[in-house]
Amino acid sequence: MRPIGVRAALCCGAAFWLAASALAQAQGLLGDDAAASTAPTPRTAEGHPDFSGFWKGSKATKPVGNIGKDLPGFKLPLTPAGETALKNNLTKTVDPESRCLIGGIPRHDASALPFSIVQNKDHVAWLYMYTYFRTVPFDVHQHEEDPDPRYFGDEIGWWEGDTFVIDSVGFKSTNMWIDENGNPQSDAMHAVERWTRPDAGHIHVDVTITDPKYYTHPFTYSRTWIAGDSKASQHEYVCSENNTDLKHLGPGPGGIRADGTRGYDVAPLPAVPPSPDAYGK
Amino acid sequence: MQPRLFLVAACVAILSTLPAQAHHSFAAEFDGTKPVRLSGTITKIEWTNPHSFFYLDVKDARGEIHNWAIESGNPGALSRRGWKKGAIKLGDALIVDGYLAKDGSRLIDGRRVKLPSGETVYGGSAGDGGPGDPTAATPAPGGGAQQ
Repeated sequence: MRPIGVRAALCCGAAFWLAASALAQAQGLLGDDAAASTAPTPRTAEGHPDFSGFWKGSKATKPVGNIGKDLPGFKLPLTPAGETALKNNLTKTVDPESRCLIGGIPRHDASALPFSIVQNKDHVAWLYMYTYFRTVPFDVHQHEEDPDPRYFGDEIGWWEGDTFVIDSVGFKSTNMWIDENGNPQSDAMHAVERWTRPDAGHIHVDVTITDPKYYTHPFTYSRTWIAGDSKASQHEYVCSENNTDLKHLGPGPGGIRADGTRGYDVAPLPAVPPSPDAYGK
Repeated sequence: MQPRLFLVAACVAILSTLPAQAHHSFAAEFDGTKPVRLSGTITKIEWTNPHSFFYLDVKDARGEIHNWAIESGNPGALSRRGWKKGAIKLGDALIVDGYLAKDGSRLIDGRRVKLPSGETVYGGSAGDGGPGDPTAATPAPGGGAQQ
């Protein structure tokens, strides 16, 4: 086969990326922004907005996995201690999620993965794709006096009109990344999530993150998800079943691109890659 | 582009966007500068979380056989792409294209798999930041891209 022409290759890449995005949307990772319902917000018997549903990402959320997505240049206001913690995450820490630890909050709010919500008369429960969950009761306004450190923190919630507010403190001091990009969070973090369902087809959160150890001032993160198939459900996922790759993992999430996503801009697979002999193996 | 190559690029680009769980980033485990092709015989299949693994006996240039591990997406992700459990079995010949592990072990990230049926499927984990990750904002340079 002749080598692929650069211009032709770029055209093909762009064209098929569009087709590929549509297919990805159809099959699970992303919701269909254009088809999302704008019907009135469903409500529970108690009159609250009903957040129940299977929620998928929106194409408008870029870069996915980066808690700094709404900040200029995606730059987080790190303190010197935060810079040190970030460097430690990037160079010395294997991703806690890959060790089968819970991502926690706000990392799950930044994740690319869909999630379910189940709501009843006095709780909202988030069910995540790694078979993790959190339940937040209504009308609790006081944190525990000395909460045990948790990945989701000590979460209390209440309604402010049609907004469900979750106030979380008491996070772990280690083994937590604030997002997929390996940014740090400390046990001093305070997260306030304000959840709304503006219509049947969308759910939205505005998160304010305050962490004086690692960030010089509070910052915000906002995101909207699209309602998925009402019959969709989470599949079983047992992280520790066969986590044999753990011994091969290096630290950090890899390089962060200029567009705020993680990974390296490596060359695509050649049509016929070399055999292992090319690497002396 | 020749039709055959075009077809392969199209197939890989589309299949590469299907959803999976990003258990860890591609770059934490694999070397994006070391693409590799394994041609061998299946010796073991682990249809498991957080990744499916299968193992191939591969003969090197000296005629020695080495057993290689191929990391792939989790069962749910693979089945959603049409790669069912019965698609491969022990003893099948398989061609797998991917990237070598950074730690030098005989392990690759299997991102393009030619099944015994002749079908080519995407084997990687979307969301891992590696080639073909649908959460990447732009196609990687070089066309068929996003493999």
